[in-house]
Amino acid sequence: MMVPVRCFTCGNVVAEHWEEFKARTREAEEPEDPEKVLDELGVERHCCRRMLVSHKDLVDIVAPYQ
Amino acid sequence: MTQDYEVEFVERSDREARFLVRGISPAFANGIRRAMIADVPTFSVDTVRVIENSSVMFDEQIGLRLGLVPLTTDLDDFEVGDEVTLSIDVSGPETAYSGDLVSSDSLVGPADDNIPIIDLKDGQRLEVEADAVLDRGREHAKHQGGVAVGYRHLQRVEVVGDKGEFEDDETHILRGVIEEQAAEHVDGDADDGDLVLTEEFDSDLTKRYPGKELEVHDVENAFVFHAETDGSLSVEELTLRAVDSIRSRADELRDAVQL
Repeated sequence: MMVPVRCFTCGNVVAEHWEEFKARTREAEEPEDPEKVLDELGVERHCCRRMLVSHKDLVDIVAPYQ
Repeated sequence: MTQDYEVEFVERSDREARFLVRGISPAFANGIRRAMIADVPTFSVDTVRVIENSSVMFDEQIGLRLGLVPLTTDLDDFEVGDEVTLSIDVSGPETAYSGDLVSSDSLVGPADDNIPIIDLKDGQRLEVEADAVLDRGREHAKHQGGVAVGYRHLQRVEVVGDKGEFEDDETHILRGVIEEQAAEHVDGDADDGDLVLTEEFDSDLTKRYPGKELEVHDVENAFVFHAETDGSLSVEELTLRAVDSIRSRADELRDAVQL
């Protein structure tokens, strides 16, 4: 629903990068390459990278059924 | 019995460091690694009192997310078991961030301010009081100060000859840190005894020593640690506290077995 706070595998805090990652790769008019964005954000390990790459915010979808 | 160890930093910043330690056994290196993960206490939210939660998430989920937020920890002023109360009060439409946590103690607060806790819609509200407790990583992973702490042997690359003229140009991947022993074969600046991160030459030895036949050996009793923290402590503090915890337990053992 919300982005996980930490990486499941290594425990690194990944949520702090989520909004910038989302803005640059999914919501921008010219989406950037996620690989490049993650490198720039300093999310190095592939365990942390999958946390952001594979995430989808669901709060907006769930909210009407509250 | 005391013994001196040689410690040398290869890379160093507030939250991440790589350092070389010479003169320790593999068992002791692993002891330090384990102590950094499990024995250095950090603050983490442990109990929450929910005053209002009309968000789309359950109270327990909010509690879990708050628990995972790293909190700055000053180990000189607190002992294991100490509690600090934090509160958060956000009304929608807005996202509640870790930075919205208000602490009752200025020494303890969120290490990162922009971790989203929950996205609140119009009319939703989150008001929570949370007790953070100082405890160790072995009690719960949320108290771990060290993230992805590990070590490798320091490595030495030996040039044993030239490659045959018609041999394949296969890559020779090596990761970690090498101690320069064959500076005369390197293009560019290099001195024997330099500590070189393999990332500097793309982790490919054939780029550093082109056309040479190579042998890689571990340097005995020399370990390169790579440590990161979640922000609750600096790497330096984490390492020193880990070593202190080993020492205090060793002292305890010595006293216990003394006649």
